Amino acid sequence: MTDLMIEATDVHKAFGAQKALDGVGVAVPRGTVLGLLGHNGAGKTTLVNVLTTMLPPDRGQASVAGFDVVAQAHQVRSRIGLTGQFAAVDEGLSGHDNLVLIARLLGASPKEARARATELLDVFGLGDAARRASRTYSGGMRRRLDLAASLVGHPEVIFLDEPTTGLDPASRLGLWEIVENLVADGTTVLLTTQYLDEADRLADSITVLSAGRVVASGTSAELKAQVGRRTVTVTLGRADDVPAASLALERAGLHPVAAGVALTAPVTSSRELAVVVRALDEVGLEAAELALAEPTLDDVYLTLSRHAA
Amino acid sequence: MTTGVTTLTTAPRWRGTDFATQVAVLTGRSLRSLVGDPRMIFLSLLQPLVMLTLFSQIFASMANTPGFPSGVRYIDYLMPAILVNTAMQSALQAGIGLITDMKNGVLARFRSLPIRLGSVLVARSLSDLVRTTAQLVLMLLFAVTIFGFAPAGGVLGTLAALALALVVGWGLGWIFLAIAAWLRNAEMMQTVGFLAMFPLMFASSAYVPVAGLPAWLRAVAEVNPLTYAVNAARSLALAQPVTGVVGALVASAALAAVGGALAIRGFRRPLS
Repeated sequence: MTDLMIEATDVHKAFGAQKALDGVGVAVPRGTVLGLLGHNGAGKTTLVNVLTTMLPPDRGQASVAGFDVVAQAHQVRSRIGLTGQFAAVDEGLSGHDNLVLIARLLGASPKEARARATELLDVFGLGDAARRASRTYSGGMRRRLDLAASLVGHPEVIFLDEPTTGLDPASRLGLWEIVENLVADGTTVLLTTQYLDEADRLADSITVLSAGRVVASGTSAELKAQVGRRTVTVTLGRADDVPAASLALERAGLHPVAAGVALTAPVTSSRELAVVVRALDEVGLEAAELALAEPTLDDVYLTLSRHAA
Repeated sequence: MTTGVTTLTTAPRWRGTDFATQVAVLTGRSLRSLVGDPRMIFLSLLQPLVMLTLFSQIFASMANTPGFPSGVRYIDYLMPAILVNTAMQSALQAGIGLITDMKNGVLARFRSLPIRLGSVLVARSLSDLVRTTAQLVLMLLFAVTIFGFAPAGGVLGTLAALALALVVGWGLGWIFLAIAAWLRNAEMMQTVGFLAMFPLMFASSAYVPVAGLPAWLRAVAEVNPLTYAVNAARSLALAQPVTGVVGALVASAALAAVGGALAIRGFRRPLS
């Protein structure tokens, strides 16, 4: 199926003189993940707010699950789940009561609501803490409860606004697994993040926002190709070896830049690590440390803004 | 933490519920947190209790001053005013409660649900009405058992005064809900409330007969709507000729209508 579950065209939103969204368009097919990448203030959260009916756009059109976010806000809301940067749960209520509350507001009977709450709490590993006030939860638990809360109504589209910001690595990984399972179940996901690795792992396609504009979109591989190369960094044991190593790498067709006892050179694939090792070996040198660095969001930004300028 | 494939998608999807159910569920939520933390009820009783104690002692001789209704004990004169005052404080608390709700992340969640936002406000108002009723009943129990409150109107008159205080507090509560929905700041709300309430209470017939006030203050008291609310409650409790009850009810309904309209407009504005 190629039906679009999220579609936005030429969306504008300004706060006073500041243009938060300046003609943004996205299209997300059913059952896929769109990663919305950008630094703070790029317009990610504003776009999420427009798509989740929280903010009306100044101009442009947006629809979610086939419903217009302005004219059919109610239909949109009954089909989406939203997990924002801050846990949207009632701190005074227990995890169980939070989920029951939402199920009841969605139209579940008390019995259905309790069953759904219990089910979700178990899925998210919160069964033991179900009856405790959510204000006593850890950050990771709260985030999981928040995600559970946004799943109560079996949403077709889920918006995750920086879901792992501020989480420890284990919780981060756990959340990624949940998202992957949701997608496997056919849910459509829009995920905003500042982390390239997160988008890399979860997103089928990535849209990069900068200052309210889409500066790039495509798959992770396409973006990286656009950004250019990864870099390999060779750290040598002695500073005296740097000139010889630099020469050896140049002979191998690389363009190293020296910094202290380290040499950094752009590479096209991880296979070139072998080229580096061989080149050093030929002149009788050995790297104390060899590291391959993926392009970061900063690289994406720097490259793309250079292209735009 | 493994997500079963079936768990998340196969159950029936709910598409929302009617306004009455939304209000009932949300009112239940507020009341539950009230029961879970009854300290608020008792803390908010402290101020009126202190006033009741101080005034009933300090101003007891007021009953001997000219202009004071003859044959009425001061505690019986004072208590209806304390009821109205407590209901007003409670109305301010409704506004502060709404701001607390807006700080609580759950309100952001409500906005993403297919519910009418007005239900959140109505639920707030209803649960505050329940809380105020509990407070006023507790105050009456104190007044009867400790201070010997026994007005001529008897139980019926007292209950009528209580009901009137509740209606006035409920109407005013909508004004504070409106202010809260626009201000969205608890400290500012406290200040606004304090500035509005203190002069209103004292430049009125609440603690002394208007006739006993200095001329300029009397002029203020005579246009102060609170004077009329207190007089109406007092006339019910003291079994005097009933004055201004209809006026107080109509004014409260008007406050509720205006406040409600403004509150929903303010509340609908995006959170940030």
